[in-house]
Amino acid sequence: MTVPGAAAPLALSGVRYQYAGTSAWALDGVDLTVEPGRILGVVGPNDAGKSTLALVASGLAPLAIGGRLEGSAALGGRETRELAAHEAAQRSGILFQNPSTQLSGTAHTVWEEVAFGPRNVGLGLGEIVERVEASLAALRIESLAPRDPARLSGGQAQLVALASVFALRPACLVLDEPTSQLDPEGTRLVGEAIRRLAGELGSAILVTEHKTALLARVADAAIALRGGTVVARGTVREVLEDPALIELGVDPPPAVRLRRALAAAEVDAGAARRTLDALAALDVKEAAG
Amino acid sequence: MEDALNEAASRVPDYVLRPVDGTYRRLNPTTKLVIAFSAALVAFGVRGWTGPLVVLAIVVATAAVTRIGRAMRPFVLATIPLIASILLVNTFLYPGAEDVLLRVGPFAATGTGLTEALQASLRVVAFALSVAVFSLTTPTDDLLVDLERRGVGRRGVFVIGSAIRTIPRMVERAGEIVEAQRARGLDTEGSPLRRIRGILPLAGPMILGAVTDVEERTVALEARAFSAPAQRTVIRPIPDSPAQRAVRWSAGLGAAGLVALGIAGILRFP
Amino acid sequence: MSVRIDLDGVAFTYPDGTEALAGVDLTILPGERVAIVGQNGSGKSTLVRHMNGLLRPTGGRVLLDGRDTAGRHVADLARTVGLVFQNPDRQLFAGTARAEVAFGPRNLGVRGADLDASIDGALAAVGLEEAGATNPYDLGFSRRKLLALASILAMRTPVVILDEPTTGQDAGGVARVQSIVADLAGAGRTVLAISHDLHFVAGTFERVVVMRAGRIVLDGSPAEVFAAPNWETLASTYLEPPLAARVGDRLGLGGTPTEADLVAALGARGS
Repeated sequence: MTVPGAAAPLALSGVRYQYAGTSAWALDGVDLTVEPGRILGVVGPNDAGKSTLALVASGLAPLAIGGRLEGSAALGGRETRELAAHEAAQRSGILFQNPSTQLSGTAHTVWEEVAFGPRNVGLGLGEIVERVEASLAALRIESLAPRDPARLSGGQAQLVALASVFALRPACLVLDEPTSQLDPEGTRLVGEAIRRLAGELGSAILVTEHKTALLARVADAAIALRGGTVVARGTVREVLEDPALIELGVDPPPAVRLRRALAAAEVDAGAARRTLDALAALDVKEAAG
Repeated sequence: MEDALNEAASRVPDYVLRPVDGTYRRLNPTTKLVIAFSAALVAFGVRGWTGPLVVLAIVVATAAVTRIGRAMRPFVLATIPLIASILLVNTFLYPGAEDVLLRVGPFAATGTGLTEALQASLRVVAFALSVAVFSLTTPTDDLLVDLERRGVGRRGVFVIGSAIRTIPRMVERAGEIVEAQRARGLDTEGSPLRRIRGILPLAGPMILGAVTDVEERTVALEARAFSAPAQRTVIRPIPDSPAQRAVRWSAGLGAAGLVALGIAGILRFP
Repeated sequence: MSVRIDLDGVAFTYPDGTEALAGVDLTILPGERVAIVGQNGSGKSTLVRHMNGLLRPTGGRVLLDGRDTAGRHVADLARTVGLVFQNPDRQLFAGTARAEVAFGPRNLGVRGADLDASIDGALAAVGLEEAGATNPYDLGFSRRKLLALASILAMRTPVVILDEPTTGQDAGGVARVQSIVADLAGAGRTVLAISHDLHFVAGTFERVVVMRAGRIVLDGSPAEVFAAPNWETLASTYLEPPLAARVGDRLGLGGTPTEADLVAALGARGS
């Protein structure tokens, strides 16, 4: 699926960003790359710059909200500052936390909501139908197509918003705390959708989250952000098992907390071994499920 | 490839195409918009009872034919606060009126005032109902596509269209704000004086919320290529005809003419 | 210091016919720490809104210390039951954090030195004592949520209800909420919380009430509720038991909803 030598769907290098009318750097030197089919998780305390990073990675900063961007923010090889907002939208799509504000508000059915983006760029009707059908299938929400978007549960609305962003066929998808306002079932649905979009459809995905357990399940790599800079990076396991994570203001996933509690309590070796085996068995069940 | 796309075009679901029935509903959206505007102009611009009564008659007839009677209720309810203040202010405080009907403390209700109040209320109701008829029989999306085809900017049109659909959400948000402030002891069940004190704690978050909402929604729209220079693809064909164009021009000019003649004093209506 | 809450066959149906609560019986004793969990739509929010009168039951009664809430204004019930909503931006309106926190107690008639003391105490409890003069919207989301919490704490209600106190919070914010709950309980006040975060629930509350479709389906300590015999019921509400409980069950240990419980059980068991 990847052409050798092709530019990464998302590549940030030395990125600094300042919101319009402010003098502080909300992002102060960020480097990251996301390749097709890979999922990069971003953790950090509130106000670390996670949402700002999402806006920069989707091109909306500076193209839709202004502000000052320094460094290189490239979507499929093109710098965001050289693109128009609608061009960036077709290279990098974004999903926000609030299920209701990101829907267009003018679509009577989910089908039309998903068609919203492709219609805006003036694609032919046949092309639009194919894209809508493909997006609904990718998110497994074909049964929601005739429904009123305003009357869906939070989790369903997020899937619809994701499908409608996906319909513009961006190579990169940015998700900013997508499950923050959802219940556990909604969180599970979105998590599965993310895995499928990367694994089966090759999307490059950047996802910021507080729910480290979710990232442990779906992400390949991760970075930790604080004060607008990357303070840790590596595989998702490496980052989430870093002892410094708690000081950073990030809660490690339950499995990590459990292993640490075992180690700290100096539990008898046999009991510890059995516990870790049980944990491993459950982890495997989770990964498969 | 061509054939595949043509074939795909035929797969637009019925619930999207939503073929409408009813002559009025099938009218071009801009025609309906012009009619609504003309009605509003006549309701407010023509002096006397005739203007609003005629508009009301037309609107009620249209509502009956298009069977949207019940759905108009929220629009009527929305006018109640305005009508209440119109009735109070005009009945008791109409300047220069002498024909007192009854006295309430230092205030006197006058016949002239009451007549004016009723007439003004009628205009408001006529206006609200004509907006209601338009909004309930015209899918926002169709209006957007049609206005865009006529060269009206996409953004401006969209703001109007989605503002209408935002109303239920704003009402919901208002409900949440009221609840949160009541939970902090804001009294909404006591005397009117106590209730007035609640305006800032209720209006504050409402306005801030509305502003943030607009910001968030604008950004979210950009993320869906809203400002792309292309012409928006039409999914539901929207018909127009020379006859409709004639209706639009005559309704618009006719309404403007009536109002102008009324102001110039040439025509007088009871 | 606190009051007893009794829900006696409480039923609630919305005007459009949706049945949100189907006859709930629930007693909460003074000073208890209770978490209410369940999917969206299970009736959790509807339930707590009956406790301060924002909603009135269409069937059954709500009693505070034996007194029916019927006929009592919300503004009056707010002296007894404080409710912190999930979204702080639905309530913040003042120019400074201090003024914001003052709103609640002022409505209850508190003035002068008493008012200042209430405000100071509340801001300190949430760690915002330095931010008194700051505009609430200049605070980040976490701290705005804590400010909303402070505005209810300042009302010194015997019962405090928190609606999703940890959503959108980072680890520091969650830790702060946990210590506030502990302090309130220490002072003898009743604390209820609606939450999706089962880890937070298991570690902070002594009682868990699970709701589904307007009814209570489980009610007990975290160790009881998250034990294996209840997993099927939990699954029917789309809730997953905490990892520590699942690991404990695999090892044949019962009642280990938190890491601390699991470690303690392993230690007690010996080799």
